[in-house]
Amino acid sequence: MESLSAEDLKLFVESVRQYFRVVTRQEPQITSAYLATGELQGHDYNGIVSFSGAFNGHVIVSMPGQLLKELLLLQGETDLSQGNLLDAVGEIANTLAGNARKTLGPALQISVPVRLHGSAGIQARVRKHPYAITLRWNHQPAVVCIDIERR
Amino acid sequence: MRLLIVDDSNMIRSRISRVVQSGGLSNVSLVGLARNGAEALRVARATQPDVVTMDLTMPEMDGIECIKEMLRMLPRTNILVLSALSDKSTAIQALRLGARGFVAKPFSDDELKIALLDVAEGK
Repeated sequence: MESLSAEDLKLFVESVRQYFRVVTRQEPQITSAYLATGELQGHDYNGIVSFSGAFNGHVIVSMPGQLLKELLLLQGETDLSQGNLLDAVGEIANTLAGNARKTLGPALQISVPVRLHGSAGIQARVRKHPYAITLRWNHQPAVVCIDIERR
Repeated sequence: MRLLIVDDSNMIRSRISRVVQSGGLSNVSLVGLARNGAEALRVARATQPDVVTMDLTMPEMDGIECIKEMLRMLPRTNILVLSALSDKSTAIQALRLGARGFVAKPFSDDELKIALLDVAEGK
C-alpha cells in the first residue's frame, strides 16, 4: 500500500474550495490541512464514500446541521429535516470523491454515499493517520477526512 | 420538452426541479423523478420523456447501465449526464453510450440551464 503524496492530496483542498465557490459563490476559509495523528473532532452529520479499484479507503465529510441548513436554503430548499441534511452531506461527499477521478484517474472507483448522524461517526471509521482538511464557511466549521491509499 | 430527473440525492433532484420550474426554462416540463436507474426505467416507460438528467453513481442500477437500457427502450431520448465523476474518460464513456451532454458536479444553476437547453435543442 502506498499513501497519496501531499501533492495528490492538494486536489481535495481545491475540490472543497470549488464546491463552495460554485454552490454558494462564497469560498470557505481552509483553516488547516494536515496528517492527523490524534483524534479528529467530527460534527453531527457525516457523509462517507468508499474507494475501491486501484485505491483503498474513503472520504468523510463531517458538518454541523446549521452549515447544511444554510447550504440548502441557499439552493432554495425549504425542507430542512434530518433526512434532507443527511442527504446533503452524502451528496457533498459523493461530489468531492468523484471529483478526485479528474486527477487520480478512472481506476478510482467510488461507492454510493453512506450517511451517519452523530459526531462519533468520523472517529469510528478513520485509520491511524488520515489526512484532514478543516474549514470554516459562513462562521460554521466542517472537516473533510481523506483516508486513501493506492493498492 | 418532457424532463425526467434521475439522481439518488434529494438535494440534487429538488435543485434541478426548482431551476426548471423557476421560469428559466419555459419550454421544459417536469414529468418524473427517479432515485436510481431501475426506477428511472419504470418512470421513463410510463412518461416517455424527451430529456433525462442522469446521475452515474447510484444504488441498484447505476447511470451507465441505465443509459444503455433507456436508449434501447427509448432511442430518441436526449440524456444529459450530471455526475461528480469529472474525469474525461467517464464523460467519453457516457457520450459513447449515447448521452448527449455531460456536466460535472458541482454545477451552477446557469451551467445547468445552458446544458439542458443545448441537449433539449439537440445541439
